[in-house]
Amino acid sequence: MTDDRDVLRDVWFGRIPTCFTLCQDEITEREAEPYYLLLPRVSYLTLVTDKVKKHFQKVMRQEDISEIWFEYEGTPLKWHYPIGLLFDLLASSSALPWNITVHFKSFPEKDLLHCPSKDAIEAHFMSCMKEADALKHKSQVINEMQKKDHKQLWMGFQNDRFDQFWAINRKLMEYPAEENGFRYIPFRIYQTTTERPFIQKLFRPVAADGQLHTLGDLLKEVCPSAVAPEDGGKKNQVMIHGIEPMLETPLQWLSEHLSYPDNFLHISIIPQPTD
Amino acid sequence: MAEEPESVLQLPPSTASGGEGLSEVSPETVTPEPPSSAAVSPGTEEPAGDIKKKIDILLKAVGDTPIMKTKKWAVERTRTIQGLIDFIKKFLKLVASEQLFIYVNQSFAPSPDQEVGTLYECFGSDGKLVLHYCKSQAWG
Repeated sequence: MTDDRDVLRDVWFGRIPTCFTLCQDEITEREAEPYYLLLPRVSYLTLVTDKVKKHFQKVMRQEDISEIWFEYEGTPLKWHYPIGLLFDLLASSSALPWNITVHFKSFPEKDLLHCPSKDAIEAHFMSCMKEADALKHKSQVINEMQKKDHKQLWMGFQNDRFDQFWAINRKLMEYPAEENGFRYIPFRIYQTTTERPFIQKLFRPVAADGQLHTLGDLLKEVCPSAVAPEDGGKKNQVMIHGIEPMLETPLQWLSEHLSYPDNFLHISIIPQPTD
Repeated sequence: MAEEPESVLQLPPSTASGGEGLSEVSPETVTPEPPSSAAVSPGTEEPAGDIKKKIDILLKAVGDTPIMKTKKWAVERTRTIQGLIDFIKKFLKLVASEQLFIYVNQSFAPSPDQEVGTLYECFGSDGKLVLHYCKSQAWG
């Protein structure tokens, strides 16, 4: 269906207007102007902020600079979480642009992983893809690929090349003719209100009777508090890529069309905004 | 000398999710495994499924990485991969600067902040999570 392929493009090209401001504690030789950038929802902070880094380092002395890290309203931003996920989870109810604070010192070791190089981002990205395929196909599809296919996935992702990426990724979205979907759906459900980083469990896209499981079925099974019945109207928003898909949407379809490039559905459960 | 049965030992509790402190731990809450040395009371009922606080991990060395004398460990679900790495490095007396990689299903290396409980849920089999560890990158 042409419509479905459009969804893939819309997801890939989603952007978040962001304003980067240097933390006031940082020592500068001149005034640091804020830096504006459209961030790709599907990418990672450390992959797309070289220009941000250069912009602020221009007004700083070399000795005051160590590893860059980002923070939103006091919360350090994990670079290894997709940008769109971070925004939906932490800032979707606030006005745009997304205001992110940039730091070059006091790296919060307890909250963030270090990002020593682009290779580290590639390793993380490929590992997520492998984990997703372990769930979808017992790793058979990704293991059958050649090294150059893996490289093409990364290069396509890194360079924002939709066609280059999907030429290979489409194979990861296939399933045997006799099945109705993947073995298990790769998903992670995030909430800011709980201690655990995220919920990830085994969940089949198809029920024993052949019925397709829906997003609602998934939530009821693994995160029932998220879709609790109306008690005082405290319903949460269930958000993926900045939208709230209908709970009746088949999970298999969501997995094929609304996954991030790492092949995971990263789902945010957030309190209903009070405007 | 009779072959020592695999004993299931407790991974020492961590104060923070990453930090490690090796200490003597009593085996009284060891999950039921056959060893004769562990003081497991037969009347202890292991609660089923999610409620079980600890999960069993089997560690396997890859390549010429030193083999751990004790391979089976009962680990809290919230222990992170980084916590496990730090523990193995200490146990094997590796230098802090030496790298250690952990793999699931001999295919992917989970993020250091991943909880072992989640990995067990998704990739465990026969009541345990098998993890391969290596000083170099084994599976990319």
